[in-house]
Amino acid sequence: MAEAIAGKPGALPVLRGRHDLPEISGRISAIVLDGRLPRYFWTAFFACFVFVLIFLYSITYLISVGVGAYGVNIPVVWGTMIGNFVWWIGIGHAGTLISAVLLLLRQPWRASINRFAEAMTLFAVAMAGLFPILHLGRPWFFYWLLPLPNTHMHWPQWRSPLVWDFAAIATYASVSLMFWYMGLLPDLAVLRDRAKSRPAQLFYGILALGWRGSAFHWARYQTVYFLMAALATPLVVSVHSIVSLDFTFAITPGFHSTIFPPYFVAGALLSGFAMVLTIAIPLRWAFSVQDLITLRHMDNAAKLMIAAGMIVIYGYASEAFFAWYSGETYERTMMWQRAFGPYAPLFWTMLACNGAVLQLLWFRRVRLNMPVLFAIALIINVGMWIERYVIVVTGPSRDYLPSSWGEQSLRWLDFGILFGSIGTFFALVFLFIRVLPAITIFEVEELAGERGGAR
Amino acid sequence: MSLYGVIAAFADPEALTEAVRTMRARGYRRMDAFSPFHVHGLADMLGMRKTRLPWTILGGAIVGAVFVYGLILYSVEIDFPLNVGGRPLHSWPAFLVIAFEAAILGAALAAFFGMLAANRLPEYYHPVFNATSFTYARGGKFYLLVEAADPKFRKGVTKGQLTRLGAETVEEVEA
Repeated sequence: MAEAIAGKPGALPVLRGRHDLPEISGRISAIVLDGRLPRYFWTAFFACFVFVLIFLYSITYLISVGVGAYGVNIPVVWGTMIGNFVWWIGIGHAGTLISAVLLLLRQPWRASINRFAEAMTLFAVAMAGLFPILHLGRPWFFYWLLPLPNTHMHWPQWRSPLVWDFAAIATYASVSLMFWYMGLLPDLAVLRDRAKSRPAQLFYGILALGWRGSAFHWARYQTVYFLMAALATPLVVSVHSIVSLDFTFAITPGFHSTIFPPYFVAGALLSGFAMVLTIAIPLRWAFSVQDLITLRHMDNAAKLMIAAGMIVIYGYASEAFFAWYSGETYERTMMWQRAFGPYAPLFWTMLACNGAVLQLLWFRRVRLNMPVLFAIALIINVGMWIERYVIVVTGPSRDYLPSSWGEQSLRWLDFGILFGSIGTFFALVFLFIRVLPAITIFEVEELAGERGGAR
Repeated sequence: MSLYGVIAAFADPEALTEAVRTMRARGYRRMDAFSPFHVHGLADMLGMRKTRLPWTILGGAIVGAVFVYGLILYSVEIDFPLNVGGRPLHSWPAFLVIAFEAAILGAALAAFFGMLAANRLPEYYHPVFNATSFTYARGGKFYLLVEAADPKFRKGVTKGQLTRLGAETVEEVEA
């Protein structure tokens, strides 16, 4: 019934081939329940685990020595920690976009990729949440951002974007977790019923909360799931806008700009979709699920990347234009120094990655060529990290007083924490694939049922 | 061991929907259907009232926003008023940001826990799990359960009716 699934002729199918329901749930849950994962899976996991250890060592070193241990100093007191924070939180946003916005728009192609995209969101937010804390001089006092009764009788400064940020990230993490768990419930019940060993039955059984697929339950579930999606959509936009307000509320040249909120949100989607492809392309190959995660998914994700990317490019242009058009000496100097000063190599690399390489995605042949698409996704990931870093450091490095100009020096600790967090993120993704179904079973079944591929 | 009801397995959602419609028309009221994914309109046919959960979620949003905005207002106006260059204590544009986040958080908490409460989950024991033909996952089947508590329920008659509606298997469920 491949034609029925394909829809209009010439379009790429969302699902390939004919599937019946036991086959779908069996294949997806077998990845988890049989537990016989290929050797390269564990090799890759242990490679990531080495970086987890590096991450732990770096954090311990940072906390015991102090923030001077990585390369921040006057005038550049916002360094890689803030850059990493913005980069990671941005990566998380694509997961919410796929799971919430595409659900509301009733895009059938989201069904097989939303689960791991949401997991990606959770892990990316977990990584992002660490960085503002590590950036504090005394990280163990981070809870002072909460309105807790204390002997100082102080309240948080409600007018500060840093406090808003804390509220936004905490809300985002909680809502993402609940949305993800809710999506998992029916699939956990499938795993409970398919599990052979007693410990697995208990584990999935307890997590499934006794879900039995009753029609009454499904009706309430569906209502709430759509409403949660409707809540998550403005939340995503607000979270990254608030992150950008951390910058724009300062009068530092290069930070103080009204384009920042939409520009940051678009950048978040660009880097997030790049990360989705970075995970999806090896995943569909490693577990031979090319008929569930099809070229259609890859094609659509690449199209969304170019859409978000063009807005980011508009943001670059707008930043430069308004720096010049404002007539402000300091803004103009900062922009000039960004392009031709000490950070010029990074700036032009960023433009090459996010501006030039991105344009390749206009070509359908590029979007459907997996090795090339994977390479582009990696390049965009790198480009977006550089973008965050350039924004964070160039402003303070070219402040109002030329006598106090200076650059951030990168130390081993900057790299230890950055690559450590990347390794930890992927280690978590590997564990997730091992323990929970990486593809949403019930939605793929529904899709197969609707399209006449199943009975 | 008492009888809880009779469960019939159907091959596809259309057969299940048809069976539900017929059984409702025959006057059965205490029925439940089970499916591996949401079958549209099934709950309405089974006589489910319109869910009030959207109102719960709206309530959660309002409680979250009002609580946090009130907390901020209490802190800046009553507990620790701080005059900085004559700027207003009640700077509402800045306070709306956190109130918005709190509204979303309140709504999401109400949605998640409201859904669980309305569905009476977690519920680790339910008689339907006793039926050997019922596995939520393995068969990919669609089930109709008629409770013995239904006034129209007659064991032999009900089983015969379900079989004639095209059920693949019909089984008694112990409570």
